[in-house]
Amino acid sequence: MARKPTKAGTADAPVTTVVVMRLYIAGKAPNSVKAIANLKAICRRYLKDGYKLEIVDVCEHPRRALTDGVVVTPSLAKLSPAPASNVIGNLSDTGSVLAALGLHAGAME
Amino acid sequence: MNPAPPARSPSDLTAEAAFKDWVRRLVKGAAELEALEAGQIDAVMDAATGSAILLPGAQAALQGSSRLVLSALDALPGEVCVLDSAGTVVMTNKAWRAFVVARAGAGLGVSEGANFLAACRNAGAPERVHAEAVAAGLREVLAGRRKLFRCEYVCQFPGGHCAFTLTIAGIAQDGAVHAVVTRENVTERKRARLARGSGRAKTSRIAAVARAGTPNRLLASLPAKEYERLLAGLELVKLSYGDVLYEPGEQMRYAYFPSDCLVSLLTVVEGHRALEVGLVGREGMVGSRLALGITVSPVRALVQATGMAVRIKSARFLQEFRRSPALQRAAFRFTDALTMQVTQTAACNRFHVVEARLARWLLMTRERLLSGEFHLTHEFLADMLGVRRAGVTAAASALQRQKLIRYQRGIITILDQQGLELAACSCYRHLQVMGLEAAT
Repeated sequence: MARKPTKAGTADAPVTTVVVMRLYIAGKAPNSVKAIANLKAICRRYLKDGYKLEIVDVCEHPRRALTDGVVVTPSLAKLSPAPASNVIGNLSDTGSVLAALGLHAGAME
Repeated sequence: MNPAPPARSPSDLTAEAAFKDWVRRLVKGAAELEALEAGQIDAVMDAATGSAILLPGAQAALQGSSRLVLSALDALPGEVCVLDSAGTVVMTNKAWRAFVVARAGAGLGVSEGANFLAACRNAGAPERVHAEAVAAGLREVLAGRRKLFRCEYVCQFPGGHCAFTLTIAGIAQDGAVHAVVTRENVTERKRARLARGSGRAKTSRIAAVARAGTPNRLLASLPAKEYERLLAGLELVKLSYGDVLYEPGEQMRYAYFPSDCLVSLLTVVEGHRALEVGLVGREGMVGSRLALGITVSPVRALVQATGMAVRIKSARFLQEFRRSPALQRAAFRFTDALTMQVTQTAACNRFHVVEARLARWLLMTRERLLSGEFHLTHEFLADMLGVRRAGVTAAASALQRQKLIRYQRGIITILDQQGLELAACSCYRHLQVMGLEAAT
């Protein structure tokens, strides 16, 4: 319920640190497509330009995913700022994504 | 007693359960399991095989979407085929397949599994020039040197011709470059325009397209209209190493415009080996003396690198020559350049050491063939340079020792272009300054 920040709230809380993320997906599979759309919406709304997102397709780069310790996709990894964290699934639960990114919707209001 | 639908058969259910069990074992974390149960997972990584295993839902969706892509390709009116990084056709659409059947493979109609580059190489004589240009463009795209290549292609078959626009676009796939080729038939459009009375302009356009495809620079320099008139008399021929086009004192039956072959002009002096006095490649023509109204050859014209050329009957050439000011200018300019080259070569043969002359000759050959590697024997080089075989061997060894060339089993490879230019006699630089050789 406290997830929706007011327009003034986002404008008054400029993001100073850049959030670096990596999203592992499997081609155009349904949950992967949803995860990308959900994450981009969240980024647009809460991070403006203050983020870097790399999308890794595990169908094309399976070795890389294994090296990074990815078990299932879609899977989002926040790399910085510390602490690193993960979210599994299609990222439809905005609250848990924000929590993992260290952004608390409530705090932004 | 009704048979169960396939998806619900007992063995399928067992397999499904086993698969789920196996996936659960791979997925250890609580969050992962939770997402799995919620149906939010597409793939599971399998460390044992180093690959991603798609779950049934994702698999079905992906198969569905690739089917959709294939259906969408089939619905396109234009002809489309997809090539892998080696140029092999991996996918075609319905329109492409229909074209292949209708034209029995002409016009680069390549079926799935066949190689597009090979088809370009094996294209029939009338479309050979275009096919070579397409192959060169495709190689550029597959090598990642350009994103898009587009050209017009005229394909002839018994009873007509068809013109189309060919577009080759590179697509990055698994770290390699693949290509998608689209072909749009523009014959009807051209015909319609012709019917509307802009006939002349349209034929010129086709001629311009054909002219753009010719690698011969003299022909390419002609205006479309004049090239068009010449085109009807042109005939594509393959010239092979060792072919003699003219002997001294013989009537010149044809004039030749080399594409990727190389022709030596040799002076034959009684009691001596023939001596090369001129070299003609894609920059000019063999038989330029016709332009001076002389139909007898003063030299022996010997093909020294196999390749394609177009030729025209001497009478036909003279007929076109009289009415085409552009052809006159081009032929005179080339005759002048050739005279300069012969003059320089005469002085060079008298004053310069074999090693420097060999270097010059290799550079001139490279420029004309657009290739740094050619097949030559010492015997042949001795003829070219007017020296004994031993002299050629010594000169080639000296250049090889300086790592400027490699000479193995009759194949010379230029390793260091700049070094070779330094080793060449001043004649090469002189010809460069005169604009007769491409400056590097």
